[in-house]
Amino acid sequence: MNGQNGHKSVLVIGGGIAGIQASLDLANMGFKVYLVEKSPSIGGRMAQLDKTFPTNDCAMCILAPRMIEANSHSNIDLYTYSEVEDVSGEVSDFKVKIKRNSPFVDWSKCTGCGLCEEGCPVILPKEFDQGLGKRKAIFIPFPQAVPKKYTVDKREERPCKAACMDACPAHTNVLGYIKLIAEGEFQEAYKLIRDTNPLPASVGRVCYAPCEEACNRGQIDEPMAIRDLKRFAADQVNIEELEVPTVTKTDKKVAIVGSGPAGLAAANDLALKGHDVTIFEALPESGGMLRVGIPEYRLPKEILRKEIGYIQKLGVEIRTGVQVGKDIALEEIRGNYDALFIAAGAHGGMRLRMEGEELPGVIEGIRFLRAVNLGEKVEVGKKTAVIGGGNTAVDCARTAKRLGAEEVKIVYRRSRSEMPASAEETAAVEEEGIPIEFLTTPTRFFPGNGKLARMECVKMKLGEPDASGRPRPIPIEGSEFTTSVDTVIAALGQAPETEFVKEFGVSLSKRGMIEIDPETGATNIEGVFAGGDVVTGPAFVIDAIAAGKRAAHSIDRHLKGEPIEVKEEGKEPEKLSEEEVEDRKKRFPSQKRVRLRDEPIGERIKDFREVSLGYTVEEAIEEASRCLAGQIEGCIECHECAKRCEANAIAYTMQDEHIEIDVGAIILATGLDLYDVSPLTEYGYGKIKNVVTAIEFERLTAASGPTFGELKRPSDGKIPHAIAFIQCVGSRDFKHKAYCSSVCCMHATKEAILAYEHHPGTKSTIFYMDLRAVGKRFQEYVTRAKEEYNVTYIRSRPGRVAVNPENQNPIVWYEDTTTTETKNMEVDLVVLCQAMTPRGSKELAEMLGIELNEYGFVEVPDKLSHPVDSTRPGIFACGYVHSPRDIPDSVTQGSGAAARAAEVIAGGS
Amino acid sequence: MEQARIGVFVCHCGVNIGAYVDVPQVVEYVKGLPNVVHAERNLFTCSEEGISAIKKAIPEYSLNRVIVASCTPRTHERLFRAACEEAGLNKYLFEFVNIRDQCSWVHMREPGKATEKAKELIKMGVAKARLLQPLEEIEIPVIPSCLVMGGGVVGISAALNLAEQGFEVHLVEKEGELGGTLLDIYKLFPTNEQASKLIGALIQKVKDHSKIKTHLSTKVKDASGFIGNFDATLDEDGKESKLKVGTIIVATGAEELKPLGQYGYGKFPNVITQLELEQRMKKEGFDGQNVVMINCVGARVPERTYCSRFCCMTAVKNATLIKESNPTSKVWLLHRDLMAYGVEFENYYRKSMEQGVRFIRYELEKLPRVIGNGKAEKVKVWHQLRGREVELSVDIVVLTTPLIPRADNEEISKMLKVPLSEQGFFLEAHLKLMPVEFATDGIYLCGSARWPTDIAEGVSQAYAAAAKAAIPMRRGYVKPEAITALVDEDKCSGCGTCEPVCPFKAIELQARDGKKVSHISEAVCKGCGTCGAACPAGAIIMNHFRDVEILAQIEALFSKSN
Repeated sequence: MNGQNGHKSVLVIGGGIAGIQASLDLANMGFKVYLVEKSPSIGGRMAQLDKTFPTNDCAMCILAPRMIEANSHSNIDLYTYSEVEDVSGEVSDFKVKIKRNSPFVDWSKCTGCGLCEEGCPVILPKEFDQGLGKRKAIFIPFPQAVPKKYTVDKREERPCKAACMDACPAHTNVLGYIKLIAEGEFQEAYKLIRDTNPLPASVGRVCYAPCEEACNRGQIDEPMAIRDLKRFAADQVNIEELEVPTVTKTDKKVAIVGSGPAGLAAANDLALKGHDVTIFEALPESGGMLRVGIPEYRLPKEILRKEIGYIQKLGVEIRTGVQVGKDIALEEIRGNYDALFIAAGAHGGMRLRMEGEELPGVIEGIRFLRAVNLGEKVEVGKKTAVIGGGNTAVDCARTAKRLGAEEVKIVYRRSRSEMPASAEETAAVEEEGIPIEFLTTPTRFFPGNGKLARMECVKMKLGEPDASGRPRPIPIEGSEFTTSVDTVIAALGQAPETEFVKEFGVSLSKRGMIEIDPETGATNIEGVFAGGDVVTGPAFVIDAIAAGKRAAHSIDRHLKGEPIEVKEEGKEPEKLSEEEVEDRKKRFPSQKRVRLRDEPIGERIKDFREVSLGYTVEEAIEEASRCLAGQIEGCIECHECAKRCEANAIAYTMQDEHIEIDVGAIILATGLDLYDVSPLTEYGYGKIKNVVTAIEFERLTAASGPTFGELKRPSDGKIPHAIAFIQCVGSRDFKHKAYCSSVCCMHATKEAILAYEHHPGTKSTIFYMDLRAVGKRFQEYVTRAKEEYNVTYIRSRPGRVAVNPENQNPIVWYEDTTTTETKNMEVDLVVLCQAMTPRGSKELAEMLGIELNEYGFVEVPDKLSHPVDSTRPGIFACGYVHSPRDIPDSVTQGSGAAARAAEVIAGGS
Repeated sequence: MEQARIGVFVCHCGVNIGAYVDVPQVVEYVKGLPNVVHAERNLFTCSEEGISAIKKAIPEYSLNRVIVASCTPRTHERLFRAACEEAGLNKYLFEFVNIRDQCSWVHMREPGKATEKAKELIKMGVAKARLLQPLEEIEIPVIPSCLVMGGGVVGISAALNLAEQGFEVHLVEKEGELGGTLLDIYKLFPTNEQASKLIGALIQKVKDHSKIKTHLSTKVKDASGFIGNFDATLDEDGKESKLKVGTIIVATGAEELKPLGQYGYGKFPNVITQLELEQRMKKEGFDGQNVVMINCVGARVPERTYCSRFCCMTAVKNATLIKESNPTSKVWLLHRDLMAYGVEFENYYRKSMEQGVRFIRYELEKLPRVIGNGKAEKVKVWHQLRGREVELSVDIVVLTTPLIPRADNEEISKMLKVPLSEQGFFLEAHLKLMPVEFATDGIYLCGSARWPTDIAEGVSQAYAAAAKAAIPMRRGYVKPEAITALVDEDKCSGCGTCEPVCPFKAIELQARDGKKVSHISEAVCKGCGTCGAACPAGAIIMNHFRDVEILAQIEALFSKSN
């Protein structure tokens, strides 16, 4: 074994304490070391431990410096999240292929700040906490991880195209919040929605949901009920109790005209950027069309009030009853603010332009709704006709019904398929007993007793398509007819009222709408922006929100003196190809959309109660679980992390990297796995909640664990005052592992001591076969446990663990070996000291060409005089994969293996 | 001196500190201390995040002093100093304040007071940090040669490994031949190979190796110096020779306890120890018919509390070998916990049962009794499962006794200035992570000199010690800590008070301009401060712990203001 001409470098496989020690020793000798670790961090099992016996040193405290040293050592190339793929050659000249798994994060950019993790909606069991805790799909294994770089746990391709997110004007993270709802994380779902949509509860009720139309699940069976799920998430949150984030204030002031969705969305975003925002609202109530255009039964005012209230809590001031142009001049606002956003909406009604329109009893739809919504006294006659086919018409008709009109009908000049109102709304109106007269339009109104009495209508037929693309309705000559009517509500549409900006010099379109750069929201005047219905004419809430957000982004940049850049927007929603549809149909069984339940028709039309009841928790989870994206494990590629990462480090397209190295020697240090104890059914693991394994217990006491170091038992969070530890669970057992796992006697003793330290007075009982306290100061440690920490040792192998159904206490049945009596002991918690097995040795042994013993530990041919040598020259082993052993012995072997490797590669120097 | 600009990093250490000390409050307080230009808190200052925060803050706030208030310098000082160094700050301008061991851990039940104490300790640290001076480390060359003390299997393994790595080795054995305890042993567990064969092969390798110089019948009489440059005096049967080596490995082993007065040992000729049994088996074989072995004789008892680790397996092996050579024999093994840990031992233990070795467990409260007249005839022992005492006829009683520290451990400990544990074995630097290193640089330990160990473990430790020794030898130099004592020769009266109190023999009186002055070797000095305290003239300056620095700390503690 002379390495004079060989490679002066060593491959160490496994980044636990043994591998780290071997690497550090070799690196400190001056040799090049490649340290390959499968998980994203080094540290191994020791990192999971709370304290270490027999000194009760905090494991992480003594380990962390070595981890950092290994990472920063100039002679060590650390490859975490990597695997050895192939080994060829021989001692002094091994060729090794290493696969560096793609972490989908550019580690040269990642700062480990954790912003990405907060936003990730995918919750997975945290390996580091043995699944007791949770982590996200983008994660670091534990707080002190080395290197502190994030990894995306991306396992499969997302089965859909996330068309919902592209279709949404606000690009809300639909995949993300649906996933969170499916996981039962409703608060988190709400927070995620609120990141892009400041009015989730309102939008979750009234949105026209273009996302659902785009939803790829719709190509398979039915689209997801995205809007209803949004409402559900919002309904789970008490908006009034939401915390308000602290933001650093800028000294900039922004004025917003109009408190509708566009104005509110802009105000929300600008306030979160630290700007001072004032909204001027002409009406006595804030909320714009959401407040005055949508009836209570679709969007309860109280809900809207709360959502606006939260925006006010962010520091936004809303001055209601102030009409810009009348109560305050636009010029004055301009002078006092650094930027202006005009979002005055489209509140002007459209006239019918026909005879009798001025008669009492004929009213504009939008004015009708506004009056009702503001609580004004509005009377409708017995017979009410609503003219129009849009959502406003439907809203008017349903409102009129609720106000007591006996007969309500809708008169619409085209046919059903041309109706702009949503199918859902159309169905609802008909359900409520309101007929729609299609292909009919009024022509004249006749008075009687000084008010409206009759209406003349004409029948229509459909002609060639007009400018809107819909067939033009043509009156059928001679088809006129007259009906008696008390009230006519003309819901023909709305228009913005933009008189007030004219003198200010804001350029308007021919139709009287404000002209802007559609991508930035900027008007022709610097510092003045506009958006929402005032720009587009009547459109949807979510469009207005998107416009408000877009403008806020531009205004923020403007205020910072940065060039106004277009925010990157999503792409067009994509459809699944036919093959993809077939494939998805095979993979995912058809599942019907969960329908929302409504209030019974007979009841609901009596008042303005909310019609739709919303989902129950079970319904919401069931519906959310249908989402195609959620059918896969791991990352669903919602790109939330990429959106949040300030370092631009997220790289979804990153590929695995394959590298080749030459080394003179190899050290195997892959450590241990924990033997699955659930087949030992007599101990109830997995069935009895308060039966845990020793490593789980360790995580329950560790400061970095799922309970932050508070020792509580799983079933009810109660402090366990009586604990039983059972030794040799799976060890020294022919049915499982015949060998002794070597460390359990001591770690049980340590854990019993820790339990006492957490809660003085705790009584621990350790059931053991032989108490193998063979190391330096171990006997003394056991004595201390008995004398100072209330630990009792009983020599017995318990036969089974039962449970007291009343309090979930486990009951340990055992034979007292001194009296041969069968006894039982009821405790708060049972800890199973499970067997440990060599980790990853089978695959590696084949690759390395080394032999293993019957249990998978490394076969050492010359056990006594060359105790760390494998069956193949130049390949050494240390730590638990070599044989069951504790930390000092693993460290010793790590150094020992380093010395043997040094012999190979240093020969003759 | 330039104005001190101090940065303070206060660590939560998760809940270790954060749950008891109000860290944000401490940080706010620290910000108001004089010369503190930056203070921040970190969840874990030792994490990569924390380290980069330090490295970032040094240039950002033009820091020229750094304080970390967290755990203990024992484990973390090196790390934080390195962070300072990487950011261009002399590492001796770093000051450590321990608010974990001294605040959160000891005052867990009074968090308010823990917080106040943390503030005061940091205030003291700041007062000291203001006065800190940069120090430079000297570079000491390392002689690429190692002195291995002890020529048993462990010492030999260390020597062979280092020699194979290319280093010169002096292997010193006080007996006339190499091999140590293995020379007396018959067969080895768990392989049942002949001890003589194993040790013979190793001895031959040593003999053949050009890099190893063996010194038989030799004791290391004296050793002085420091890592890289040790001067050893060897005494070979009264003949002294000098040696210069860079590193030293202690592999002097241990010896078997002779349990005089127990179970008839020393009184009955047929009561012997395991080692005596081995010797007999090796020389003449063994053909006893009724054998009783008693484990834990003199071990795990109040007067000697420790477990000697491998003796259970020695007994199991010898019992098995007796059964193998004489299947009709009756072999009882009376034991307490049976320490057959791991794969091989458990296997061996099980096979011994299959071979017919009978195991009877006894308790410390009901010890077995050896009864006889002139020789041991019966052993009586309480049989737990049968619930009564049983009587075993014996031809021979074998007592399994622990390894005990060698008598000359104390002498070696003093000579090398390395500590012994309360049991008399050598004490490593850290039980968990530095098992083969002494706190003193350049000296390492392995085998049963450290703690009773079996062959495989001892050899692993030998390799580990060799790895540690190879590090400075391969590098060729070391840079010891610059925190050393310094003599102000003008003030020194040459009284010599300091010389005998130095535990590291770093001080000698030298002639200077017609008077004697004390001289301290920087390389040997460990900066313990004993001489500084002893000097009646105040002539000894402790770098990094100068009187002005300490006084400033004390003043800070008792001053009312910040």
